[in-house]
Amino acid sequence: MTAFFLGIALIVAAGAAAWLLQGRTRLADSVFATLAALGCAAGLVPAVAVLVGGRGSVGLSWGMGAPGGTWAFGIDSLSAVFLVVVLGVGLLNVLYGIAYLAPERAHRAVGSAHFLTCLFLAAMALVVTAQATMPFLVAWELMALTAYLLVVFEDEQAEVRRAGLVYLAATHVGALALVAMFALWGTWAGGFTFSALGRASLPASGAAVLSLALVGFGLKAGLVPLHFWLPGAHASAPSHVSGLMSGVMIKTGIYGLLRVISLVRGVPAWWGWAVLTLGILSGVLGVLWALAQHDLKRLLAYHSIENIGIILLGVGAGALGVAYREPAVAVLGFAGAVLHTVNHALFKSLLFLGAGAVFRATGIRVIDRLGGLARRMPWTWVAFLVGSVAIIGLPPLNGFVSEWLVYQALLRGGFAVSPVRVAVLGVAALALIGGLALACFAKVGGVVFLGEPRSAAADEGREPTAGYLLPMAVLALACAVIGLLPSIAVQPVLAIAGSIAGASLETLQPALGPVVRAAWGISLVSGGVVLLLTVGWVWRRALERRRSPTWSETWACGYVGPTPRMQYTAASFAAPLLQAFGRVAGVRTERTPAAFHTHPVDLVLEGVVLPAWRHVSRVAEAIRPVQHGRLHTYLLYIVGVLLALLLYLWLGART
Amino acid sequence: MTSWTAVWTLGLVLVIAPLLPGLATKTKSWLTGRRGAPVLQLYFDLGKLWRKRSTYSRTTTWVFRLAPVAVVATALGAACLVPLDGRQSLLRFTGDLVAFAYLLALGRFALVLAGLDTGSSFEGMGSSREVTFSTFAEPALFLGFATLVLLTGSLSLSGMFGEALFTAWGRSAAALALIAISLFLVLLAENARVPVDDPATHLELTMIHEVIVLDHSGPELGLILYGSALKLAVFGALLVGVLVPRAALPQPLAAGALAGGLVLVAIAVGVVEGVMARLRLIRVPQFLVAASVLAALATFLVLWR
Repeated sequence: MTAFFLGIALIVAAGAAAWLLQGRTRLADSVFATLAALGCAAGLVPAVAVLVGGRGSVGLSWGMGAPGGTWAFGIDSLSAVFLVVVLGVGLLNVLYGIAYLAPERAHRAVGSAHFLTCLFLAAMALVVTAQATMPFLVAWELMALTAYLLVVFEDEQAEVRRAGLVYLAATHVGALALVAMFALWGTWAGGFTFSALGRASLPASGAAVLSLALVGFGLKAGLVPLHFWLPGAHASAPSHVSGLMSGVMIKTGIYGLLRVISLVRGVPAWWGWAVLTLGILSGVLGVLWALAQHDLKRLLAYHSIENIGIILLGVGAGALGVAYREPAVAVLGFAGAVLHTVNHALFKSLLFLGAGAVFRATGIRVIDRLGGLARRMPWTWVAFLVGSVAIIGLPPLNGFVSEWLVYQALLRGGFAVSPVRVAVLGVAALALIGGLALACFAKVGGVVFLGEPRSAAADEGREPTAGYLLPMAVLALACAVIGLLPSIAVQPVLAIAGSIAGASLETLQPALGPVVRAAWGISLVSGGVVLLLTVGWVWRRALERRRSPTWSETWACGYVGPTPRMQYTAASFAAPLLQAFGRVAGVRTERTPAAFHTHPVDLVLEGVVLPAWRHVSRVAEAIRPVQHGRLHTYLLYIVGVLLALLLYLWLGART
Repeated sequence: MTSWTAVWTLGLVLVIAPLLPGLATKTKSWLTGRRGAPVLQLYFDLGKLWRKRSTYSRTTTWVFRLAPVAVVATALGAACLVPLDGRQSLLRFTGDLVAFAYLLALGRFALVLAGLDTGSSFEGMGSSREVTFSTFAEPALFLGFATLVLLTGSLSLSGMFGEALFTAWGRSAAALALIAISLFLVLLAENARVPVDDPATHLELTMIHEVIVLDHSGPELGLILYGSALKLAVFGALLVGVLVPRAALPQPLAAGALAGGLVLVAIAVGVVEGVMARLRLIRVPQFLVAASVLAALATFLVLWR
């Protein structure tokens, strides 16, 4: 635990150094990078020790005198895996930020942004290691505020400020739900450390606690319909911050849900069904809305909602397994959820960093104005392609492994006698999500990177420097390693899932043994495909040398002067699917004889939240005169309230 | 331990795969009163393409040239997961059904990207349609698989199509019949056959699969054609597997039943092409949702037994 806190201190020191040394650019960057890397490495030591060593939790708590009761921190296997995500993936985003923010130096101070990023990272690390209510909420709030300040980094744009405001309001509604949840729960438990909460058996009204948890953590995770803050915030933030938020921060919501499940010991079935339903809703709607987007980063943000949906499918299946006493389903569901959390952190950060590289190279985020970047930015394209294949969930990459676990949880649920067997229908949703994700990333990859550039700026895109490419390369490599050698991931996540579900893995050996062995089967399939691709490519090259190919124009039915404007656009590509899903797709179409436009709308934000907000602000306007800044009326309020209280006491004394 | 029969049945399927499109075309021609191309036409085509030089568009990148390899590699990988001899596949593990579907999806992703790589409107259009229709086909396939999982208690294709399926026919013939119909519809969609797509059409605007490969030529086109034929054979083997559980049959007979079944599937595809026209594109999602509904019905039948 000492190493962990040393790491946190180093991370904060790195940020401070970047801020204080900002006059001396090169020194600041190198000190910042070194300290941040050292800090994350030190912080990872105890996490890796827990995961690899299989030791139980290491803990530290101090002070009854501390505000809000005991401040306890500890790392058990659940904390450890999230800590690996926060510090490992977080570090790569932070390092990418150095190169990414460098061009901003001309306009604004960059050091403070680095400092905030470090605070943000440290706060997230504290969130997943806090073992008591007070430090958890403090870290949670620090995380929310630093994230807000980073979202409004480019605050000269009205759109950015608006997205920041929506995020700030939403995150505080979530925080409020969490405060209420912990207050209720802690009162029943008679203590506010997690171990005290875990010892308490929830009364019948524990439903309130579980519902508040779903709202509070669900808002952070971005599940539909509580996702409305997410696309704006993730699209407006600088790309490495988007990577941090999408890859890491929203996962703290998943961490919260899993922590609650492990503390409650025996969640009720209705809660499991609720999570499963919300997972299906988030997954299908998230990817459908992503398909409708024209802005590359907004599209990726909607995909985060989709992947949260897949994670929640796993959490929901796991919770149902706990509720209906099907430990194998529970363990597989939670294992899928945990592994997908790790995987999504890897490939979503990778995709956001890739999108950031595209934005820096071209200055464009609109998909339909890009094109042909595969020739101009070959390595960025390879990295983005790896991320795309991984996020669709295709072999031979990591996304496949976790979706495979979730599929198994749902299918295995079908064997049960209890109502959990209905969950097997979830495979249809997961399959639909997979199909839609494939369509969406075919659109992104095909329109942004392939074909001919659709604008002059896209034509001038060039490969970014190593500062951009190295973090992306590491993330892509991690995706490939988990995809090709899933055994290294499957065994640990099963153990973690066992601890969440409170099931012993030994007794589940007949059900889980084949899964562990099957991980090697995936290695064979994935490795085999990679091998076949390599052999095929080598053969093709040899063939090409023997008979040199002819190079010509793309076939356009005899037309010989195709222009880039004649290419299929992203809007047209997505149109048939959006049309098939109708109004649910959240898109307004506009057809003229010569043009076809689609305008994505966020059904929740623009249909529910903003109208509701307008009502609230109308009421607020009405009572506004109460506060006008004149001191004597305020004194009058105080006297009035005092009199009312005295009257109340006097009446109370009389009865 | 892998049995040798799994190996040589796979070999058999690899060899007879190009026969199936030929058979379908022949059946269609016969039904519509024409003579039609020889049954072995695809073998001749492959031989000819193999010896040709390739022509590439200057717009294309390595994606365009790797995709044909990916199509064959993924179809081959999927074939390794299906228990072709009626007992065991070459490779089997818990949850290999997911790997089967997602491998084919990988091949499709590669092909669709290759279509977009040319920068042609036609190929973009075809790619868009391909991903649209496969999105609707995917839930049907998975619901069918889920029903087989529930009926046989196995999470592996080898178990799902093994001996347990034979006894399942006695208990839940209705559900299995529904799955077989749904699987046939998925087969038609995934392999670009009428009524979803028309492999014989030569009007770019109406095509789906054919238009994506418009720019491919030479050995690459050959790879794609072979990969498509193999995919048809693999889906056909699944259909034959549901209809004729062969685990109890002696080995040569099981392989013979597979070959005969594949021929019948190809003829059935040809009959469909002979008697009906391609659906309007806007109707295709409804057709595939119908396949999903049939599969869902089968799942319900098994769940509330």
